[in-house]
Amino acid sequence: MNSPTPILRADKICFSYNGEATILRDISFSIYAGESLGVLGPNGGGKSTLMKIIVGLLKPSSGELYFEEKPSSEFIKYPYDFFSYVPQNSELNTILPVKVSEYMSFTAALYKKQNDTDELLNLVGILHKKDSLISKLSGGEKQRVLLARALINRPKLLLLDEPTKGLDSNGQDQLLAIIEKIKKRDQTAVIIVDHNINQIVRNCHKILCLNRTYHWHNNSDLLTKNILEDVYHCEFEHLLIHENDLQPGKEKADHENHLFCDHDHSTDKETHSLMRRKK
Amino acid sequence: MNFIHSLQDFLQYDFLLYALLGTLFLSITCGLISPLLIARKNAFMGSAISHSTLLGLAIALSLFSSEKPFAIFLTTLVITILCTLFLAFSTYRQKLPTDSLIGIFYTATMALGILIHSAFAKNKTDLLSFLFGNILLLTKEDVLLSMAILAITAPLIIIPFKKWLFLTYDEEGAITSGVNSKFYHYLFFILLSLLIVTSIKLAGTILIETLLLVPGFFALKFANNVKQTFIISVLFSTFFALLGILIANTYGLPSGATLAVVLFIALVLSLVFKKIYTFLKSF
Repeated sequence: MNSPTPILRADKICFSYNGEATILRDISFSIYAGESLGVLGPNGGGKSTLMKIIVGLLKPSSGELYFEEKPSSEFIKYPYDFFSYVPQNSELNTILPVKVSEYMSFTAALYKKQNDTDELLNLVGILHKKDSLISKLSGGEKQRVLLARALINRPKLLLLDEPTKGLDSNGQDQLLAIIEKIKKRDQTAVIIVDHNINQIVRNCHKILCLNRTYHWHNNSDLLTKNILEDVYHCEFEHLLIHENDLQPGKEKADHENHLFCDHDHSTDKETHSLMRRKK
Repeated sequence: MNFIHSLQDFLQYDFLLYALLGTLFLSITCGLISPLLIARKNAFMGSAISHSTLLGLAIALSLFSSEKPFAIFLTTLVITILCTLFLAFSTYRQKLPTDSLIGIFYTATMALGILIHSAFAKNKTDLLSFLFGNILLLTKEDVLLSMAILAITAPLIIIPFKKWLFLTYDEEGAITSGVNSKFYHYLFFILLSLLIVTSIKLAGTILIETLLLVPGFFALKFANNVKQTFIISVLFSTFFALLGILIANTYGLPSGATLAVVLFIALVLSLVFKKIYTFLKSF
């Protein structure tokens, strides 16, 4: 599956604000076309900072990013057309009455791809809201619009900072299904920052845990409960469910099928679908 | 009847025609910038720039006698742009609220202006009187100047219109799509200071601040999309500014203040009517 050249390689990225406490130290990882990398960690662990470094909003104190093995410092202009970024809580300015189609046209005009916008809105299932004001859309619909906007330049790398924040579980599933569809369709590499450990472990090939230090997992199966507890500085119960346990006819979940649970528990979806901290 | 006579006056007297044309060009320019100024949350910055012109004016009056208006204008313009660039530099993508810094800056520049004026000015006339222009006293050159400001501003807003909107609506999205946010940030403030310094000479600080704020505020309250916002803003600004100057001439009122009050009344009445309409519609 891996092509010989990673889409993005980070080599010993360090970052601190004005020489104050280090937020990122020696972060290294790589991601290939069609892969997804989930970034986990508590608040203040440096997840959004890492995203902002990758998209050029912040400069690393040291270390280098390589886009298809070309160092970012060698680009005359930062390679903005290489990736797309959907920021956390995307701070849209609600003072301006912007319609979905108008918002799409802002980016489309930059890439001269005015004709692709309907197709992308259709892909994320929001074409029927094309003439609506963005301020009137629900949280899930807004996220889909942001996602559609981010796809206009057909990015090789898509960066999503907490895309499921504020969405109910249905909304989260739908959005993640769309992201999966995009990944398969265009072989787009995706980096997702999210607090939902279950979603990340289920949907991402690779995991990066950040909490000032970092744990890198080339395969999400290598993530263990101990590592998560170390990263979040607390103990967990019910960290991950296996969908098999929720199949009809299964009476009792088999704890051996659980990646992070070491005890039997019911097949009630409610208790399974939540990652809970031990009281 | 008075109104019709007043209209005839505008065709009969050059100075009234100049006032009419000057108001037309200024109101179009302000109507174009106004929604951006409000949506970018820079309304206070506009006030700061208009007040910091006092420093430029004080230095200019210390260097040149008041018989050299063009030298005074140019010096004021250059110093105000330098002050604005400093403000633009200090407020670019800051996490801390920038209004306090702007407040400190503009009171400090005003105070410094008054000190410089009292110590060094060649002509000790009231400094503040320079800030209250009179649109009824415009010359042909002033009209050309207001036309030049429109000719400079309009293409710089209209050609990269979508970039302005993208940056205003979703700044991080725009930057990571390759829009040069810093360039547009500085360009906006340079355009604003150019417009304000020129307009203060022509129309006075009250009128220019009204023209910069009221049309955009009105348009953002009533428009249903972005294009409509700018069209409504320009039409509102132009129509009520011209109506204001007509009223000022008819009743012999101070022009700048009359225009400002007319725009304000139009805004308040429209908001009241909107409330009543919404209320009636709910039944």
